[in-house]
Amino acid sequence: MLSHRGFHHRLKRFLQQVLFLEILAGMAATFKHLFIRRVTIQYPHEKRVLPNGYRGFIALLRYDDGTDKCVGCDLCEAACPSRVITVISAEVEGQPLKRYAKEYTMDMTRCVFCGLCVEACPVNALGMTKEYEYATYDKRNLKLNKEQLLTIGDRAFPVRETRVEFQHPHAAFFNVAHRGYPVK
Amino acid sequence: MIQTALNLIVVLVTIGVVMAVVLLHVAYLTYFERKILGWMQDRMGPMEVGYHGLLQPIADGLKLFFKEDIVPAQANKIIFTLAPILVLVPALIGFAVVPFGRDSIHLFGLTFRPYVTDLNIGILYILAFASIGAYGVLLGGWASNNKYSLLGGLRSAAQVISYELSLGLAIVGVLLMAGSLSLVKITEAQNGGALHWFILPQFVAFVIYLISAVAETNRLPFDLPEAESELVAGFFTEYSGMRFAFFFLAEYANMILVSCIATILFLGGWHAPFEALSFIPPILWFAGKVYFFLFFYIWIRGTLPRLRYDQLMMFGWKVMIPLALANILVTSVVLFFIRG
Repeated sequence: MLSHRGFHHRLKRFLQQVLFLEILAGMAATFKHLFIRRVTIQYPHEKRVLPNGYRGFIALLRYDDGTDKCVGCDLCEAACPSRVITVISAEVEGQPLKRYAKEYTMDMTRCVFCGLCVEACPVNALGMTKEYEYATYDKRNLKLNKEQLLTIGDRAFPVRETRVEFQHPHAAFFNVAHRGYPVK
Repeated sequence: MIQTALNLIVVLVTIGVVMAVVLLHVAYLTYFERKILGWMQDRMGPMEVGYHGLLQPIADGLKLFFKEDIVPAQANKIIFTLAPILVLVPALIGFAVVPFGRDSIHLFGLTFRPYVTDLNIGILYILAFASIGAYGVLLGGWASNNKYSLLGGLRSAAQVISYELSLGLAIVGVLLMAGSLSLVKITEAQNGGALHWFILPQFVAFVIYLISAVAETNRLPFDLPEAESELVAGFFTEYSGMRFAFFFLAEYANMILVSCIATILFLGGWHAPFEALSFIPPILWFAGKVYFFLFFYIWIRGTLPRLRYDQLMMFGWKVMIPLALANILVTSVVLFFIRG
């Protein structure tokens, strides 16, 4: 009985080898893949539709009257894990409690696009765009100043938040009410 | 005198047409190989140059043509230069005896036959030149003065010699049945539909031929001479530019040649499989069968991994050659009793 089964098994193995059954199975698999729909996107010619919440280049935003949202509080600089952001803040002329960012630079060569600065910002002055094509021949082009960041913001977020000036000019550091997330 | 000149013109034109067609096929075979391999691996293959990459072979050719011609300082310059030619010429010269179709074309009172010449030793001629091609690979590997090249050349020599034996012996069965070495006569011997093709009585020989042919053309799964993961690029590691292109062209020309011979010997050449289908021109039948084999070789490449060297040798000497010999024995005995 046992030897009979052994013979069967050996015959099966022999036929498998002689008829190249395993190779034929492999060839069937590769042949099937000839007709599978490709997932490739021909990148420079066609681009992905990016999901909302995509973490691309970071931008500085403005209010609808064109003034900066940034109050120069430095929280983004503190939140940044790779020390991308440098903020030099200053008082608004004649309003000692109001501050703004005199200089705001981002060294995008170091950015890891984690979005912690956007999370940290108390006035929602930062936003993450869906832009990612920033390959350049010169690294210095990736060191963005305030103007450049604001330009990116203007381009990526055409709908701006309304400035609500409901508090006393001397009373508040953050001059914006926090009612949920603004429309970006 | 005039007749001789006219004959010369006819032969030259035929050679020119055959060459042009073969080289065009070689160029586009590289494209289709890349496309099909890409599809089999869920990629797209070349897409940039022209519509779906259709101009890719031309771009590749231009690139290789304009590349710097580098000869390694320690290389044997004469043999290094000679080797690519020695590989390419035998690969192309074999097409001289391949009958591509049945009907001659009559133009301006001249008769253009569908083959360059009909040698009465056609298949022997092709085998002989295929062996010279192996010299090119071996010499190229040696003259480069590079260990990888030398290893590739050595492997190629051993492999080609081993598999040429089984290739030649596989063909003998067909020759016994056809009773001729001329490729035209072999094709004509398979007249009368698919049942008369030699693939049916010579199926074992057909399988042996297919496998040996892959080994002869140094293609996967028998690409040990150029095994990228082991030998950089094998025997043409040191070659670049046009010389590299020669090796490249030779590989694909060999592929086409081997497919043409398989078509003629086993699939009835330009014969239609059924009488009802004979309205399709013979040359299209021939091309279709050759394309089938070419696809098959690409398909095999997309499926199988490379053999180990000892497996290759064992398979060649202990399986293929005894099987081929047994096939000759059986064929001759059967034919002896049938034909009396």
